[in-house]
Amino acid sequence: MISLAVLVPLFPLLGALVAAIGGKWLKGLSHWPVIVGIGAAFFVSLLLYNSVDRLGDSRVVIFNWIDAGDLHVPFQFRIDGLTTMMLTMVTFVATLVAIFASGYMHGDPAYPRFFALVGLFVFSMTGLVLSNNYVLTYAFWEGVGVCSYLLVGFWHAKPAAAAAAKKAFLVNRVGDFGFAIAIFWMWTIFGHSLSYDDVLNERTLETIPHGTRLGIALLLFWAATAKSAQIPLYVWLPDAMEGPTPVSALIHAATMVTAGVYLIARSSLLFVTVPGAQATIAVVGCLTALLAALIALTQTDLKRVMAYSTVSQLGYMFMALGAGVGSVAKFAVVAAMFHLFTHAFFKALLFLASGSVMHAMGGVIDMRRFRGLRHRLPYTHLTFLCGGLALSGIPITAGFFSKDEILAALNMAAHEAPRVGIPGWIYGLVYWTALFTALLTAFYTGRAYFWTFWGPERLPGPDDPEATPSETQVQSSTVAHHVSTELPSADAQAAHGISEEPVAHADDHGHGDHDSHFGQESPPIMWVPLAILAGFALLAGLAFGPTGIFEKHLVRTPGFEEMGGHAVAHAFDWASVLLGSAAGVLGLGLAYLFYASPSPLPARIAANLGGLYRASLNKFYIDEFYDATVVRFTWLAAAISRAVDEYVVHNLVLSVAWLPRFVGRRVLGPLQNGLMQYYAAATALGVACLLLILLLF
Amino acid sequence: MFPFDLLANYLIVGAALMAIGMVGFLARRNLIVMFLSAEMMLQGVAVTLVGFGRFHGNWTGQVFTIIILTVAASEAAIALALVLVLFKRRSSLDVSLWNDLREPGLPLSVENPDEAEAPEIVPGPESYPHLTVAGIEPPHPRQPWERPRD
Amino acid sequence: MNRDQWLATCVIFLGGLGTWLLLPHKHGKIKARLTQGCGAALSILALLLLSAFYTSPGPFLPNVFFWVFATSAVGSGILTITSRNPVYSALWFASVVLSTSGLFLLAGASFLAAGTIIVYAGAIIVTFLFVIMLAQSEGQALYDRMARAPGAATLSGFALLWAVFYALLMVRSPGGDFKPVVPRLTSASEFVKPTLPGNFKNSGPVLPGSGPAFVLASAIRPTALLADDRAPAPKKSVPHVAALGATLFTDHLIAVEVAGTLLFIALVGAISMATPRTPIRPVDREAISAGDPAQARALANMTN
Repeated sequence: MISLAVLVPLFPLLGALVAAIGGKWLKGLSHWPVIVGIGAAFFVSLLLYNSVDRLGDSRVVIFNWIDAGDLHVPFQFRIDGLTTMMLTMVTFVATLVAIFASGYMHGDPAYPRFFALVGLFVFSMTGLVLSNNYVLTYAFWEGVGVCSYLLVGFWHAKPAAAAAAKKAFLVNRVGDFGFAIAIFWMWTIFGHSLSYDDVLNERTLETIPHGTRLGIALLLFWAATAKSAQIPLYVWLPDAMEGPTPVSALIHAATMVTAGVYLIARSSLLFVTVPGAQATIAVVGCLTALLAALIALTQTDLKRVMAYSTVSQLGYMFMALGAGVGSVAKFAVVAAMFHLFTHAFFKALLFLASGSVMHAMGGVIDMRRFRGLRHRLPYTHLTFLCGGLALSGIPITAGFFSKDEILAALNMAAHEAPRVGIPGWIYGLVYWTALFTALLTAFYTGRAYFWTFWGPERLPGPDDPEATPSETQVQSSTVAHHVSTELPSADAQAAHGISEEPVAHADDHGHGDHDSHFGQESPPIMWVPLAILAGFALLAGLAFGPTGIFEKHLVRTPGFEEMGGHAVAHAFDWASVLLGSAAGVLGLGLAYLFYASPSPLPARIAANLGGLYRASLNKFYIDEFYDATVVRFTWLAAAISRAVDEYVVHNLVLSVAWLPRFVGRRVLGPLQNGLMQYYAAATALGVACLLLILLLF
Repeated sequence: MFPFDLLANYLIVGAALMAIGMVGFLARRNLIVMFLSAEMMLQGVAVTLVGFGRFHGNWTGQVFTIIILTVAASEAAIALALVLVLFKRRSSLDVSLWNDLREPGLPLSVENPDEAEAPEIVPGPESYPHLTVAGIEPPHPRQPWERPRD
Repeated sequence: MNRDQWLATCVIFLGGLGTWLLLPHKHGKIKARLTQGCGAALSILALLLLSAFYTSPGPFLPNVFFWVFATSAVGSGILTITSRNPVYSALWFASVVLSTSGLFLLAGASFLAAGTIIVYAGAIIVTFLFVIMLAQSEGQALYDRMARAPGAATLSGFALLWAVFYALLMVRSPGGDFKPVVPRLTSASEFVKPTLPGNFKNSGPVLPGSGPAFVLASAIRPTALLADDRAPAPKKSVPHVAALGATLFTDHLIAVEVAGTLLFIALVGAISMATPRTPIRPVDREAISAGDPAQARALANMTN
């Protein structure tokens, strides 16, 4: 039963291989091996999930991977509550995304490659959550990074996509560096073992000095900030929108960004022992959530709104992880993982719905180019609504329960923190910021929803600059960049307002025959996964949260049950519930007021808050800041290196090469004059010399 | 009795013949003279072998020499056949003409007779002795050094 | 260095210098008579000095014969390589062959002496024919008057000679009497006896039929032994050629067969190489004599 675990990564890998090798013949059927592979992996994950509930956790060694000197790394899988929860979630979402993609990517010239990469992506992620030591996790961590690079840059002919892929990869390298250092450090101090069983062990951890633990914890968090898009390394995630929309859904919901959260949750036994690190995580998560939510308020690219929303929600998860101080630890980790779990459903849903909109709009994703699509895209509209409600945390939806658990955890942490030496007001501040962020979340979700689906209907024209001429959607949204470059100017817009007639559009001219290839509801293969996800987005929270199923399953992870000393009773925090729900409802209500029908209100507000608005629209100039500091500096270093290479090393190498060439051409070459007697003379002279040396010395 | 001192006599002569043959092989440009020099080296070896055979009191040295004679005969046959073929190609026995194995792009050796400086024409020991003309003089052009000495 | 080595160095230096002076000029310049005379004088001096190394092989007559043959061999060798005219070279080489045959005779290799003269006489005559046919058809060639790097050639050749001399003198000088590594077996009867030869008796316990004796027994068979003066009378009476034939066709049978095969292959190869592919027919000969250069060229290409 347990050895089935190997099948979970194996099936997607096989599917990917079949798609990659057989893609030439499968062509338009290339999605089948991958969908079947991931679906089978999901089935096996369910079996494992069940087995953990019945039999508890276990390990399985597949083979001995590294056996060099003091470094022994088995290729070992681990099956426990956390792993099976992640596995089930990842494979389930990935299956639906793959099914959706088979419709969305239909007709793409590189159709088999796409599915091969998706299979590989799922393989890497399942391997990551299954592995039982940090080295193996690191290997799959890198695998996930590579797959994201390949998928974000899937349309590599497009410069923006290539740049986004490069950015994602490089930013992730920064985080991987921290992870690598953490692994080296752990190997040194944990008796040359990197197994989770040896490292995440209360008895072992007690023997380690506090400073060392703090250092390792911060390094691991550094790694997580890159993968899970936290300040300061979140910048790659919004740009990753350049990839195909199913990839975005996969990255944002299931496979990529959850890796960092998973790593922290997995190492939570270590993190609990260092409250300083926990406070750092909470504060960073809080700042990320707030910043991303503020940026998301003004973005006009539907996918980009979702991307910032992901960053924001990941901030929530980190807030929850950071709340794990003292006796709150278990509750906090459960809250974080529960939010990760529910977020996977509704964020995948929102992305796929955005993709559906984009599909219907012929590749246009700029919200200013279309409105009032609720009649044209009824399924998309409804499913998007479900996702939006869940994201906003409206009661009884999935997001409601998970968000309230986080708020409750933060609230408890504020009381618990002073006992472990952290000022309580930090968590208090985080708590209120989280509430405010919840309000913002609801607002921007509502803004995206109402703007897209309500109001007077409008479609982008066939000759829209954003629209792709053909069915193949080789051009995804680059709107956010274009807004600040092509369109008149962001400043002018801000003054003018963006609500009613954002930009005088080309599609408003003459021929109003919008019933071309635009504006049709997506085929069932696309909206059925949406519907399934919508069901989960609405009901998963209710089914898993209050019933305690999720928590009971998760604490089957070794060490989680006893984490943070004595267990605290699950106190339903009515204040948080009420405040959180109120924030969600209020946000949605405001959004309805502003955007459900054309209204002058947002323009006025934008004009009054000109500076803040501009800052938000330009993403608080974080990219520009990085460009001016890190990137420029790197460019300088690269230029110096290049100069050294070109003028010093190159000439050195050339001169090394010059010497034998000179000797060959000028000295030895003329000796080869083709006259046999010279050769014979050389031989005779050589024999004479040898003989003389032999005799004389 | 054939003590070592007597063997040394043969060894000295053999070594000298060998060395002189080698000098000839290296220095002369006429294919036939080079061939003769090579044969001379073989003669030196033969002398040495016969001496050694006598010194050790068995036939082996002489048997070896006989084998060498055989090889030398084969070599003579092949070498002269090759000389014949080569001469047909270039109408010359000069070994310097056969330098196609030289480094690509390398100019011809300056010792090439066509490019060598013209020899100083003085009557010397190189000229043939003057003989009374008998019969009709063959129609070949006479080289300057073939002119009868004054 | 002792006296002998100094002398050897001197001989080789003088001989080398003389040979170098006698060799043709590098660029075909004609050497002055004085130069040639000097070279000849130095070479003769070296030859005379070389005779200081010869040990007297016995009574007067063998002594004189050895000296004459040795000096004649080396001197003729020098003349072979220094003659401007290949015809002279061939003749001087014949002299070398004759002299070495004399040396063979003195060393008791009478059959070899005769064989060398016969074989080489044939070869030399053929060579001579070649020379006359090819080289002398247009008079004395320029390349015969030009030496290829005579200095370097002389240097390398005589350096080698010096090394060999040095080795020889080193072997000879210390004890004065050099014992061969493999002891000389005086007679076949002594060898085939189950007891070991006297020289081996002191070299430790050697079992009969094993060790050096065994190796020796399998390497040198009775037929391979040279007739010796001290051997008993019946052994001495074996004719020279018969004994050589016995060893050739018993101990070295395979080598003889291989040598014969080699000769045959060389014969076939030489004929196949030297004969033109397409014989020149009388018709073509007429065309050539008629002065059709194009056809003559075509024929020349074809025959090559």
